[in-house]
Amino acid sequence: MSHYEAPIRKPLITGDKSYHDVTLDVVRPVEGKANKSWWIVFSISLIAFLWGLGCIIYTVSTGIGTWGLNKTIGWAWDITNFVWWVGIGHAGTLISAVLLLFRQKWRMSINRSAEAMTIFAVVQAGLFPIIHMGRPWLAYWVLPIPNQFGSLWVNFNSPLLWDVFAISTYLSVSLVFWWTGLLPDFAMIRDRAVKPFQKKIYGILSFGWSGRAKDWQRFEEIHLVLAGLATPLVLSVHTIVSFDFATSVIPGWHTTIFPPYFVAGAIFSGFAMVNTLLITMRKVSSLEAYITHQHIELMNIVIMITGSIVGVAYITELFMAWYSGVEYEQFAFLNRATGPYWWAYWSMMTCNVISPQFMWFPKLRRSIMFSFFISIVVNIGMWFERFVIIATSLHRDYMPSAWTMFSPTYVDIGIFVGTIGFFFVLFLLYARTFPVIAQAELKSILKSSGEKYKKIRAEKGDDAPLHDPYKQEAKPDFTNEFNK
Amino acid sequence: MSSEKKYWKSEAQLDENNPEVQSLENNEFVEHIPTDEFLGNKEKLENSKTTRRDFLKYVGFSTAAASLAACEGPVVKSIPYVVQPDRLVPGVADYYATTIANGYDFASVLVKTREGRPIKIDNNTSAKDFTAGKARVHASVLDLYDIKRLQNPQIEGRDATWSEFDEKVGIELNLASTKKIVLLTQTFASPSTDRLIKQFKEKYPNTEHIVYDSVSEEAALKAFQGKFGYKALPNYDFSKAATIVSVGADFLGDWQGGGFDASYSRGREPKSGKMSRHVQFEANMTLSGGNADKRVATKPSVQKQVLVEIYNQIVSNAGSTELNAKTQKAVDSAVNSLKKGGSKSVLITGIQDEGAQRMALEINAALASTIIDTDNARMIRQGENSKIDRLIEEMQSGQIGVLMTAGINPVYSLPNSEEFTEAMQNVDATVAFSMKLDETATQAKYVASTPHYLESWGDVQLTKKTFSLIQPTIQPLFDTRQFEECLLNIISESTDYYGFIKETFNQNFGGLSWNQSLHDGTFTYESEVNKEDSEEETISSAFNASSVARQLLAHSGDNLELTLYTKTSIGDGQQSNNPWLQEMPDPITRTSWDNYITIAKSDAESLGLKNYNVADGALNGDYVNLTLGETTIENIPAFIQPGQAPGSIGLALGYGKTESIQEEMQVGHNAFKLYKDFNTHQDVSLSKGTGVHEFACVQLHHTMMGRRDIVKETTLEIFNTSEKDSWNKTPEVSLNHKPTKVTSPDVDLWQEFDREIGHHFNLSIDLNSCTGCGACVIACHSENNVPVVGKHEVRKSRDMHWLRIDRYYSSEDSLQGDYEKKDNISGLSESLSKFAELEEPSETDVQVIFQPVMCQHCNHAPCETVCPVAATAHSRQGQNHMTYNRCVGTRYCANNCPYKVRRFNWFQYSQNDEFDYHMNNDLGRMVLNPDVTVRSRGVMEKCSLCIQMTQKTILDAKRDGREIKDGEFQTACSAACDKGAMVFGDVNDKESKVVEKRDDDRMYHLLEYLGTKPNVMYQTKVRNTTEA
Repeated sequence: MSHYEAPIRKPLITGDKSYHDVTLDVVRPVEGKANKSWWIVFSISLIAFLWGLGCIIYTVSTGIGTWGLNKTIGWAWDITNFVWWVGIGHAGTLISAVLLLFRQKWRMSINRSAEAMTIFAVVQAGLFPIIHMGRPWLAYWVLPIPNQFGSLWVNFNSPLLWDVFAISTYLSVSLVFWWTGLLPDFAMIRDRAVKPFQKKIYGILSFGWSGRAKDWQRFEEIHLVLAGLATPLVLSVHTIVSFDFATSVIPGWHTTIFPPYFVAGAIFSGFAMVNTLLITMRKVSSLEAYITHQHIELMNIVIMITGSIVGVAYITELFMAWYSGVEYEQFAFLNRATGPYWWAYWSMMTCNVISPQFMWFPKLRRSIMFSFFISIVVNIGMWFERFVIIATSLHRDYMPSAWTMFSPTYVDIGIFVGTIGFFFVLFLLYARTFPVIAQAELKSILKSSGEKYKKIRAEKGDDAPLHDPYKQEAKPDFTNEFNK
Repeated sequence: MSSEKKYWKSEAQLDENNPEVQSLENNEFVEHIPTDEFLGNKEKLENSKTTRRDFLKYVGFSTAAASLAACEGPVVKSIPYVVQPDRLVPGVADYYATTIANGYDFASVLVKTREGRPIKIDNNTSAKDFTAGKARVHASVLDLYDIKRLQNPQIEGRDATWSEFDEKVGIELNLASTKKIVLLTQTFASPSTDRLIKQFKEKYPNTEHIVYDSVSEEAALKAFQGKFGYKALPNYDFSKAATIVSVGADFLGDWQGGGFDASYSRGREPKSGKMSRHVQFEANMTLSGGNADKRVATKPSVQKQVLVEIYNQIVSNAGSTELNAKTQKAVDSAVNSLKKGGSKSVLITGIQDEGAQRMALEINAALASTIIDTDNARMIRQGENSKIDRLIEEMQSGQIGVLMTAGINPVYSLPNSEEFTEAMQNVDATVAFSMKLDETATQAKYVASTPHYLESWGDVQLTKKTFSLIQPTIQPLFDTRQFEECLLNIISESTDYYGFIKETFNQNFGGLSWNQSLHDGTFTYESEVNKEDSEEETISSAFNASSVARQLLAHSGDNLELTLYTKTSIGDGQQSNNPWLQEMPDPITRTSWDNYITIAKSDAESLGLKNYNVADGALNGDYVNLTLGETTIENIPAFIQPGQAPGSIGLALGYGKTESIQEEMQVGHNAFKLYKDFNTHQDVSLSKGTGVHEFACVQLHHTMMGRRDIVKETTLEIFNTSEKDSWNKTPEVSLNHKPTKVTSPDVDLWQEFDREIGHHFNLSIDLNSCTGCGACVIACHSENNVPVVGKHEVRKSRDMHWLRIDRYYSSEDSLQGDYEKKDNISGLSESLSKFAELEEPSETDVQVIFQPVMCQHCNHAPCETVCPVAATAHSRQGQNHMTYNRCVGTRYCANNCPYKVRRFNWFQYSQNDEFDYHMNNDLGRMVLNPDVTVRSRGVMEKCSLCIQMTQKTILDAKRDGREIKDGEFQTACSAACDKGAMVFGDVNDKESKVVEKRDDDRMYHLLEYLGTKPNVMYQTKVRNTTEA
């Protein structure tokens, strides 16, 4: 009865998939050749990435003056992009760690890619704090390393320093977690590989996975431990990012609501990005059987809930501004909604608060196209949220004499587009070389949640034998003998 | 005697028969190089291991190695003194007292030199008057290092030597014996120069000396002459004034030579409950109008009526005026104030009309004003511009043999400069004495390169009784010779100019010590000094009030009336190649790098002119074409100016130069073309031009939004009668639901350090004494090596000023009105509409406030906690430090600064061709203060409270083993402010003036409710609104 699952639950793997089918579906992109559309998307991403790289080189060699910043607005697109990417990077760990602890099995077909997205997004995010520095070649000064500058230490009071710790911890834990999960799947590719070079590479990547029971036991244990470690990180990273603003004195930044508000916003945007990526990937890599409507619907429900939390946070901010009686606070929010950047505020409101409410309608949240559309809208909205918080709070703060505006230069835009390009370059390479679905894990629920077996149980009763009858194949393929 | 001794080199030599020794001796000097042996043996050559290819390899390698070895790193030469001058210690500054007298600005200054280089102009505090509290004077040190200076004399456009110059000019002068020789000069106000010119006239009796001021005060001079018999300008001591009424005179600006602001400010401190009342009638918004207790926007034609009306009411009826009710009321009130003040009242006017100026003198005489000082009159303007037209006629008709110009640039600054240029062709020889190859010098046949005043000798009679000496502070940088030295050469006087001045000194001021006077730079001499040219003396003329009134009232006033003015930064334009001044924002418009039409909003609307902000906040404006008679200037940008009298416009002189000025600084339009008859008031017409102008404005928002925490203001009446809490309440926060003052330690998050030990610096800024003149801005620039970033960067809100002077306009009629309006806002819809209204400055009746803002040096600094690398930190002395070489440039500190005073180096501003200002050439870099780092790109910078100066004071006292006296601690800004608005000192010295300021009832901190505990404090602005 270990494979029993209530028949009312929707299958998580559709189609008549056997264990071998799962293997074949996962390795197909790795073993096969890239199609034309992959090359087109990859080329566009690569060009965007190189363009961004050019802009970064120009910035570092000429000065931050190549951006649109000024004496009043010291951060705009740089930190907006940073927070945006960190936020996107939230979904992966949440899906793989938190949902693992909560035993949400639907995570299994999406966690691999969500984690990959996390890591690639954090890489993009990590770029910005470095390149936004006036002297990035001294970026290592933010690390508390013993030094010869009269033993000059970092300033532990600075939230920016906490960011350094938070982001680097998050990146390393996520990377370890991801890689651990990848080991049995890499081993599977290694075992199927026919080319010696490929075999060698995947052999190294799989860390010598042998498939022994002891391997599996340790695998399960470390997975659980890492999930336990990663779960607080989901909350801490964006909490600390929000401290950059919350601990300051600038009206619109100085807000105690920021930590939960930022975490909710991060999950919101992360799930939206997962949706964007997976809806594309299931189509391109023919993974419809694994990333089902059910998955997308569940993701949409999370988006709807976190979007609503974010909406409540926005309204709470307005309430607190009014209730505080602090004139600067009141003006900051009045200015946010009706000042020169009203369009950014209302774009944010529309995209983040109104658009997820459509997900109350089952028809809409089950529609693939609509989900894809909303996922894009949400990420546009979340980008605006950060821009609104950062730039519109700064542009009119205490001293009206210093009030001004911000306008991005082509370099600002180029770097942002460049990181999007870089992200997709990484993701597309990942999609062609990594097992994009945690097949080893997925196989563990195939018989309980696979459509095929649910059908067998429905037809023949819960006690029906679920194993495939042994079929003698005409020509046994001995090269893959040990794979069975 | 030859020596018989034999020296042997080895033992073998002792045996005479040794064949080896023999053969070696024979081969000691090889007679031929054995090339044949080597090359002749073909076989051996062919068998040799070194092939041709190897040979080429060796050659290639050794050439490459040799050339690589020849490459060297850049060599920076630092040359030590061979013999170190006694009084010159590297690292220790020397100070010299001298005087700037460039014909426009006159002031006694103290020059700081380091290693022989003048690097900063300070105020000469021992001078009673003309103490140099002017931005242009402080910036004049940079003119010394101007790369556009003329470096040697020129004859007909080619470089020449002085002997050649002397010879040729001598010949020209002798040839001109049948014609006239004209000396056309600036106002030197110099007894020695006058004596010298007299001697020159003795040698060349056909000489005429015409004094020309680019911005004329001739009307006032003539009026004064009419009343008192000699040519001078009255002096004023506003410190004792009870009532000041100004009709169109920007006396806090450049009116009659400027420099009245120091005494004005002393009279504005509401100590013992009294301060002057200042009423201003003016068309353009000026510094004077901005500081006035009551300002009435009045266009020039109405100003004339106002003056006549005041005359009517105070002296006698001269003619009936037709003022509208509002102006009439203001005039009546002003007259009452004048009468109330009695002999402590003064009326001044800027109307460029002899009758009007005379009227003002008569009014002051009727008031028996003690504020006006006609005994110790000002000598710093002597221009006889009305003679110019006759001169041009004479030049055209070929009557002039030699025209010598000195210290002036008439081809640029004359309204009819084309005529003048043409007429110059009919003069046999034109000689220009000039520091630059300017518009006039390029037209002249002979150009004498003159030195900067910091390289010259001279004496100046500032007022009847005040004299000042000019002494060089550096060897001339170029092959230059001053005008007076040249004249001495021409008249073959044996003495040099230094000797000549000394001679004059000894003749005139018997009993005074030359050395002491030179040391002090300035001295007073009570008894009458023989003025050399007495030919100017005329008998005073009678005053016919009614005819003057008739003439003044004749102006119809239907046209658009232009008032030409000079900017605080650029003045008459002689310093326009000075990047500090170009970048200095105008105190009123806060716009730099430009001149523009200032126009009232109502007039702008009727012409369809707009000012608007683009996406990055920068200000854009429409162009206008301005026509005056035959002259049209096209595409002048229009700037909508709150407080501009409707029906009037303003335009600054001194812009639009094209010769000897770097391309970056060729900005604006030459308004001298409109300066017809040397009258600043002209009737013009405007039409909308094409295109859009990009302004470089540093302040894009003009009102204070009713925020009391920024500028506190009250009236004299409330100040005198009410408790401090009613007009300067310390903000309160809620602690356990009880209102608690933010200054209370109970609401402090941190444990307070003991700040009683050692020094603790505070800076007090008095908003009553501050006139917004901007001398501190330039002094800060100069002391702290603040970079100039240029028009385009300023436009992007990236100016680097460490010290800015915020200027706010009221949105209602007064700032109090703004406060009340904001306080009464209730509900969302009212918030939306009222805040939007508060963003707009009032159109005509507008109150202005100036507030200098620099780093506030908070004891609880928001910037310090957020820096990840601890590059900004607090000192025991209260200064917030910025460690440039630790800064990685995250800009977090700047974001978290509520005062927005931090400045980021967006680019490399020094030695970068993109920023081709003084820091990009070796000459300009000589002005840099060696005590202050030149910042590299990517680091944050800001005011340090001049830590290099405070530490110097501490170290000096420590070395001398003495206590530091109050007043020894200074910052560049506090030292530059001759108004006493900035007081700097150690609050742990209980006797110090700054402690008195800290404990003053008027004291408040900027945005005090934040609890940042700044070490900079402000004194509440008090306005004397008491209507008499």
